[in-house]
Amino acid sequence: MNKIFTVIKREYNTRVRTKGFIISTVLIPFLFVVGFAIPVIATLMNSEKPQKIAVVDQSGQIFSHLQLVFADTLKNGERLYNFLPVKIEGKEGTAVKNYLTKEVETQKIQGFLIIPANVLDTGKIRYYAKNVSNFSVNERLSRRISKIVTRIRLEKQNLDPSFIRTLTKGIKLETFKVTRSGKQQKDSGATFAITYILVFMLYMAILIYGATLMRSVLEEKTSRVVEVVVSSVSPFRLMAGKILGVGAVSFTQMFIWGMTLFLISVYGVGLAASLGAGDVLAKFHIPPLDPVVLLYFFLFFVLGYILYSIFYAAIGAMVNSEQEAGQFQTPIIMLLIIPILLIMPVVANPDSTLAVSLSLFPFTAPIIMFMRISVLMPPTWQIVLSFMILGLTIWGSIWVTARIYRVGILMYGKRPNLPELWKWIRY
Amino acid sequence: MSSVEFQSVTKDFGDVRAVDHLTFSIPQGSIYGILGPNGAGKTTSLRMLMQIILPDSGTIRVFGQYQKNSYLDRIGYLPEERGLYRKMKVNDVVAFFGELHGIKPSDIRKRTTFWLERFDLLEWSNRKVEELSRGMQQKLQFIITIFHEPDLIILDEPFTGLDPVNAQLVKDIIMEEHKRGATIIFSTHLMEQVEKLCDRICLINKGQAILEGKIQDIKQKFGKNHLIVSYTGDSDFLSDSSIQAYNDYGNYVEILLAKEANPQALLKKIVKQAEVYKFELVEPSMHEIFIETVQSLGGDKNE
Repeated sequence: MNKIFTVIKREYNTRVRTKGFIISTVLIPFLFVVGFAIPVIATLMNSEKPQKIAVVDQSGQIFSHLQLVFADTLKNGERLYNFLPVKIEGKEGTAVKNYLTKEVETQKIQGFLIIPANVLDTGKIRYYAKNVSNFSVNERLSRRISKIVTRIRLEKQNLDPSFIRTLTKGIKLETFKVTRSGKQQKDSGATFAITYILVFMLYMAILIYGATLMRSVLEEKTSRVVEVVVSSVSPFRLMAGKILGVGAVSFTQMFIWGMTLFLISVYGVGLAASLGAGDVLAKFHIPPLDPVVLLYFFLFFVLGYILYSIFYAAIGAMVNSEQEAGQFQTPIIMLLIIPILLIMPVVANPDSTLAVSLSLFPFTAPIIMFMRISVLMPPTWQIVLSFMILGLTIWGSIWVTARIYRVGILMYGKRPNLPELWKWIRY
Repeated sequence: MSSVEFQSVTKDFGDVRAVDHLTFSIPQGSIYGILGPNGAGKTTSLRMLMQIILPDSGTIRVFGQYQKNSYLDRIGYLPEERGLYRKMKVNDVVAFFGELHGIKPSDIRKRTTFWLERFDLLEWSNRKVEELSRGMQQKLQFIITIFHEPDLIILDEPFTGLDPVNAQLVKDIIMEEHKRGATIIFSTHLMEQVEKLCDRICLINKGQAILEGKIQDIKQKFGKNHLIVSYTGDSDFLSDSSIQAYNDYGNYVEILLAKEANPQALLKKIVKQAEVYKFELVEPSMHEIFIETVQSLGGDKNE
């Protein structure tokens, strides 16, 4: 046991100290935080400036409604939009336009609106500003002014103003997530986003650390150090130690990443609110990550990693170079990609025959079963069965690959074909 | 008592029989040479001894025990295929292998300093292995082999890649380990070293032991039928019927005499043709014995 621990320690220490590991471990949570913080920061920065907009209302009917409709306020209670009326008399139209353009250039105003006299017929207004690609401003101007125009048109039909309000009242879509316990939670696709992030982390971790293990086995083989090592620790223990050591490295990384995501989902909204941008994030409805889901994430990560790493270790032992390893890796990568390709159908229909059978098949179970758990908790017997099949497969795979490993690490030259591999297993 | 005992050990790799009913025993405290041409089965035998591979039949006993993990920590093994973790620091590598052999951390630090100093590597202790020269890596590997004070030290070609100064140092340390009581197994092609260092040998060819025993006994068995002649002048005398074979180096020749040949008669003949500086009747060198034995069995010529 001590020797396994020595192998684990070496594997862990040499890998955790590399620049690549430190950078990726810190960078990804940093990106999570940045991804979360950008909308917050953007709102905090945007809302700072009150907008002065000059209005040339040639119809004479719109301006009076503007201040009422654009009631948005800043944090300090000031109005966000201030509209300044500009009168045009006679042919001075172009002169006024030139004057206002200058005002925009010198930033005395942020922009100006020109509302033509026949706006009610044409439905066209023009907005001039330095920045006309701010979608939220454009969107607001267009939507709200068209509301004003619609209302005036209706009034022209001699309809009662309160009746008009009833007629033009929009709808507001609220979505609810139904869980098996019957509890209903407000949700707006954020659950899916977090599931997706976790599933992708699972997939990347298995793929990256499986390949890391393979390279580590291959490195010991090509540098010939393995012969000295196996002269004091049995090949089986060496393989076990390496799998656990690289596994511990990836677990460290996953733990840091997973916890960052968890903390953001739990405390992020509150933190943003205390900074004064809470209402922005409230719109996303980021649900706190369920600790049970997080627990399953780590469980499936550990089992999935072990299952795949066993095969990666065997490949590392069989081949003589990374190029050769590529061919052997393909079937493994295929097995890993299937669940990623099936995210959509499984999430849409987590109880379908396809989803259930893939969540029991050991090579897709870690990702698909986790996906199902985070979308809609499957029946307990399915989860238990999935774990049992996964465990048995791991046990059987260790039995086979330990033999391949034992022979392979000391074989140089030609890589084995299938009959030769069979012989190795029986040595 | 024997440190190592091979009893009719056989190992096949597919259709190839790498080791064929190999039997020999290595007395405790001896320096034992395992010789043989390439592909004779030396490395396979050593790997079976280290339990890296298992024999198909026969038994191997080490320190009187059959195939047990417990004795591995009492062996130091320097394989022919050298290699270290290239990205690790020198002292970390030493510590890793020390720990694998169950040495206490406090001892590891003490011994690391001692050995690195002895091999003039102390200032490199915080460098990565890949920064070391080939010779330095050889020395480091040797340190790892003897670091845990093993009772049995197996050295597969220990001198390759070492300059004369370091080869001398390694040789001295091997002798120190021998005095400490360790049994040493050499596997090598260099017959001079075998002759100087070993007290017993086993010559393996095609997986079988063809010569085994004390060096003196083996040489006596071959008899004093070798001549070394140092000369200048005509070398026509080499065609004499009393000479069975010779190895001429120009002004120095090693001669294998035919059976019943008279060395004195030959000497008289040579003196007539050439000036003789040295004429010595000797036992065959291990080099000669090796080549003669392997060639007479139709094995591959040694490089």
